[in-house]
Amino acid sequence: MTFNEELVAESAALRNEPAASRTGESRDTVLSIRDLHVRFRLRGQSLHAIRGVSLDVARHETLAIVGESGAGKSVLMKNLCGLLDPNGWIDGGSIMYEGMDLASFRSERDWARVRGKHIAMVTQDPMTSLNPLKTVGWQIEEALRYNQQLRGAAARRRMLELLADVGIPDTQRRASQYPHEFSGGMRQRVVIAIALACNPKLLICDEPTTALDVTIQAQILRLIHDIKVKYGLTLIYITHDLGVVANVADRIAVMYAGDIVELGACEEVFFDPRHPYTWALLSSLPQLGVKKQELYAIQGTPPNLFQPIRGDAFAPRNPWALAVDFAHRPPYGRVSPTHKARTWLLDPRAPAVEPPPAVRSIRTLFERGAFTENPQGGNG
Amino acid sequence: MLLYIAKRLGRALISLCLIIVVVFVLLRQMPVEGYFASFDKMTPIQVENGLRKLGLLDPLPVQLLNFFKQLAQGSLGVSARYRQNYPIARIIAQKAPFSLRFGLIAVGISIPLGLGLGVLMARRKGGAWDRIGTVYIVFMQAVPSAIYYLFLQLYGTQALNISLLYNPDKWQTMILPVISLSMPSVAYFAMWMRRYTVDEANKEYIKLARVKGVPTMAVWFRHVFRNAVVPIVQLIPNSLLLTLAGSIYVESLYSIPGMGGLMVDVIKRQDNTMVQALVIIFAMLTIVGLLLGDLAMALVDPRISLARKAEAR
Repeated sequence: MTFNEELVAESAALRNEPAASRTGESRDTVLSIRDLHVRFRLRGQSLHAIRGVSLDVARHETLAIVGESGAGKSVLMKNLCGLLDPNGWIDGGSIMYEGMDLASFRSERDWARVRGKHIAMVTQDPMTSLNPLKTVGWQIEEALRYNQQLRGAAARRRMLELLADVGIPDTQRRASQYPHEFSGGMRQRVVIAIALACNPKLLICDEPTTALDVTIQAQILRLIHDIKVKYGLTLIYITHDLGVVANVADRIAVMYAGDIVELGACEEVFFDPRHPYTWALLSSLPQLGVKKQELYAIQGTPPNLFQPIRGDAFAPRNPWALAVDFAHRPPYGRVSPTHKARTWLLDPRAPAVEPPPAVRSIRTLFERGAFTENPQGGNG
Repeated sequence: MLLYIAKRLGRALISLCLIIVVVFVLLRQMPVEGYFASFDKMTPIQVENGLRKLGLLDPLPVQLLNFFKQLAQGSLGVSARYRQNYPIARIIAQKAPFSLRFGLIAVGISIPLGLGLGVLMARRKGGAWDRIGTVYIVFMQAVPSAIYYLFLQLYGTQALNISLLYNPDKWQTMILPVISLSMPSVAYFAMWMRRYTVDEANKEYIKLARVKGVPTMAVWFRHVFRNAVVPIVQLIPNSLLLTLAGSIYVESLYSIPGMGGLMVDVIKRQDNTMVQALVIIFAMLTIVGLLLGDLAMALVDPRISLARKAEAR
């Protein structure tokens, strides 16, 4: 089996669970982002990094945000814990969380109310996200002290429990070691343990597996899923890897140039995508192509966000672009109650456009029920 | 750990021996008049007899061996021209305490001040402290010390109403020399501290510490400052030890009878044996300082695994 197949097999296992927790039957909204704009000042110019994003996150769901580098995934999430770089600012919109508008937070004192206790984060690179001069146990206990008021022996006991929870063996010894004595995967487990020590309600995973090798990726994905269930977390999962998304997400938000271009349940985005950018993303997935077929690559580069975007940001790279795409920004078109896409193709006046063959082949496989058992279709 | 220290010491000793050999061989190339106080009045025969008596006509390896034997007995030899036939160790013992006293106080002041200034500068890049500090550092680096030393002496002594020169019986006369010595090293420590603090503050683990709800001040002290100090720790033993060499300019301004001008003096007087002794001493101080710096660094940074490092090199 290839690694990708393993990941998919893993995903099949993850899906065998009560449907309620996956689709979030009780859709009470934890986080509500409305028309958020974020700008950065860079070399005297203003960069419009987030261009009016609206997004609701339901309790206990896993929302994946995908998009290529620079799409604004991380910037969007940094707004949730006050980590926006000093040259960036929120230029309108709101982020409602438990009655607080995070978009209005300015001081560190404001953020102290939310960080850790409510929103925790698993960062991208485990090699750099731990303090190299403090023991692993100390770093977990520090989080326990500020978020659960645990000190001394109680903190230590909880810390060892957490280490065990994230699958680190020999916790007594490992707790007194330094990060450099841990492998990348083990460090990411420690970072997850730190996030858990905060006892958060919302956990943001910012590409938690990108820096790891593929076998470890699967383990960490599995772990994140397990702790999500065990601790009843709401997950926001940032990634540029669609293979990962397929395994973990209830819903998927596809970002392009600081905007969410398509949002829907995992199946909807994978098997019935509507935005040409989503089509392009899916077509570029290597494991979906036939053997020896040339890998699909999206032409061109993302737009320059220093300049105002006219029309659809993806239009210049979009082979299916309509004339209107270059003039007017498309509105969201509803596909289903849970599925929307920001493209003129969903407008009743638009010509009928067939998605590219790679996307169609995923859809036909889905319709034949192939994905419920073995999504690879046995071409390995 | 002990093994590592032993190995590191052994290597330091080898470096020192190599330096001694090089210095010794180079100084043998100097004119022989550097061995005699009244060379001009001596006949060639007297010179030759003198040289033979000093063992300087022996083959070079023999001379070197003898020199090492002498060093092993703890003797630096005697001065040839500076103070004829006076033991060099005694000359240094009289002068070094002055330089040490001033130097250690100055370093003791400039480390906390420099580190503090560096952190203040780094906390808000482009802020008021950063601007003030940058101006100060650039001033210290760019303006020859002679200029502000002189101003400090002239206006400082006037303001404090004390004599221009150092007087061992009056502690007030120590203030201005110490300030003069501290000023450039405050800039030096501030410069490095700012740089390392900025480096650490931008690291990913600081973000994680903030996200996990650690208060800002705790993040700064326990994470940023603590980690930024590590590379500075390595510099400290050396700056402490090298205070022994004294400062030529400050000591001559305030006529402090320290080590500062000694090296220049003995070079000007062509006192070969003293030049040799001083070069070796300063080399030794530097080597010991580096050694202590490495060990201190190993104490504060767990990543430096002494055992592994010893194997790897």
